[in-house]
Amino acid sequence: MILAADPLYGGDLLGDILITLLKAGVAFTFLLVAVMLMIWFERKLISDMQNRIGPNIAGPWGIFQTLADGIKLFFKEDLVPENADRFVFKLAPYLALVPAFLVFAIVPLGGDFNRKDGSDGVVSIFGHDTFLQVADPPMGILFFLAMSSIAIYGIMLAGWGSGSKYPLLGAVRASAQMISYEAALGLAIAAVVLQTGSLSTHDMVIDQAAGGYGGIIPNWNIVVTGFVPFFVFFIAGTAELNRPPFDLVEAEQELVGGFHTEYSSIRFALFFLAEFMNTITMSAIMVLLFLGGPAGPALFFPEGWWIGTFWFFLKLMAFLFTFVWFRATLPRFRYDQLMDLGWKVLIPISLAWFLLLAGLRLGDDRDWTYNETLAFMVGCIITFALLGGLLIGAINTARAERVREEADRG
Amino acid sequence: MLGQYLPLLALFVLAAAFAAGSFIASGLLAPRDPSAAKRAAYECGIVPTRETPERFPVRFFLVAMIFIVFDIEIIFFYPYAVAYGGLGVFGLVVIMVFSFAVFESFVYLIGNGALEWGPLKQVAGPAGAVSVQRTTGTTVRRVGLEDRGYAEGVGTEDADDTDEEAA
Repeated sequence: MILAADPLYGGDLLGDILITLLKAGVAFTFLLVAVMLMIWFERKLISDMQNRIGPNIAGPWGIFQTLADGIKLFFKEDLVPENADRFVFKLAPYLALVPAFLVFAIVPLGGDFNRKDGSDGVVSIFGHDTFLQVADPPMGILFFLAMSSIAIYGIMLAGWGSGSKYPLLGAVRASAQMISYEAALGLAIAAVVLQTGSLSTHDMVIDQAAGGYGGIIPNWNIVVTGFVPFFVFFIAGTAELNRPPFDLVEAEQELVGGFHTEYSSIRFALFFLAEFMNTITMSAIMVLLFLGGPAGPALFFPEGWWIGTFWFFLKLMAFLFTFVWFRATLPRFRYDQLMDLGWKVLIPISLAWFLLLAGLRLGDDRDWTYNETLAFMVGCIITFALLGGLLIGAINTARAERVREEADRG
Repeated sequence: MLGQYLPLLALFVLAAAFAAGSFIASGLLAPRDPSAAKRAAYECGIVPTRETPERFPVRFFLVAMIFIVFDIEIIFFYPYAVAYGGLGVFGLVVIMVFSFAVFESFVYLIGNGALEWGPLKQVAGPAGAVSVQRTTGTTVRRVGLEDRGYAEGVGTEDADDTDEEAA
């Protein structure tokens, strides 16, 4: 089942290590610069949508504004509250920042996927064949889920370690929100893994680079898995990132600064950086999972790895723009609406869709006849409708029970 | 095969070094001027008089436990998703029975109110307390108009007879 692995390892040790360090260094630098530009992009775009100018002083078009803010934060006093658990307080920014960096390692960033002769996406750096991604572990996409879970630790410990009740409440709410949507995220990814047949991110790109329907609609997973996993992942991803409209944990009217109230200067900057880094990597993961990653036609480009990078950035920019667009236009969810959406809507829908897709894929593999497939689909739809009715009944029962309790008490 | 994880280790070291370096730089560059007010917990200016409560509503704990159950279920979906071809129709039936079992426990949880977060529907208050009808007299209160040449009582309920007659 494990089809492709990065062809870098196996040759001479020194060359492998150097190329690895080069790739990691380039990715690290790129990610930091990308976060800086992303923050600037968000501020500029929001101000454009709100009919004002935004940062325009620090550098041409205000590009260095983020850098200026970051450097300013270095010079601010670093306070540790007296009730804080010092070790946990200092550990939390690491737990938020390091996973944000690490997720980016599994994302394919470029390469020519039009070759289709087994060497798709392979580039040659200083004579060594490798993929244009920092790492391609065989369990690629599971690594992404693991790192998102560790990021939740960062937030939870930040709130706990602050030794004050508002950060604690903010952190608990944030982590409850994030874990609720992580289940839906996992189910949407499971649908994509079903399609690809492998967990490796490189294999996902290769699978989506294959010819599409009639040559016009590409073989992207957004189409192949039906549109439901994409929408579920998009909504769950936005909630996972604590981005608007799910940004209740950072709402000033609610909880001051939420989990990062007591953090000042560079500790706060690291949380902020981690949040935007997560935004970029979540968009990158969405592009990888559903929009084919770096796969795209060569158009007018000469053959080369830049085709992949061009398409990847184009798709990434679409998602980054959409995230900023959400921030500018949508009002916030209330916390209970948020939790209800995560548990009672997204999880049942993605679960039902995964089972439906599993049956359909199996039918496709085993060449079921049209009638058999139709019978299976109708059976599924009826069963899921009944179970959905059961769920709605349970929700109403719970609510009626609460109303009765309140009435009894009051 | 283990070499595939080497770049992850390299990136981990780089990221941790970046964070550590930021803290060191901040330690060198930032002023250090602690005072009692700065070290106290921040509560929007209110001086905390009580011990910090380290408790939070139990609903969050329930959510975490329910998440564990669902995460385990999703963990079982991943090997199935990779190996569904070899398992055939038997595997499909098994995974459906399994998810039905977990779903049934989920329905039980919801029915028992474990995931009830919302405010209850507002029951109608005592009759006559709040008028459903909104007039400028009930929603707008103009102040400071006495010395502007307006008659007294402008903007209060007495002045808005027309709206109530028309209703």
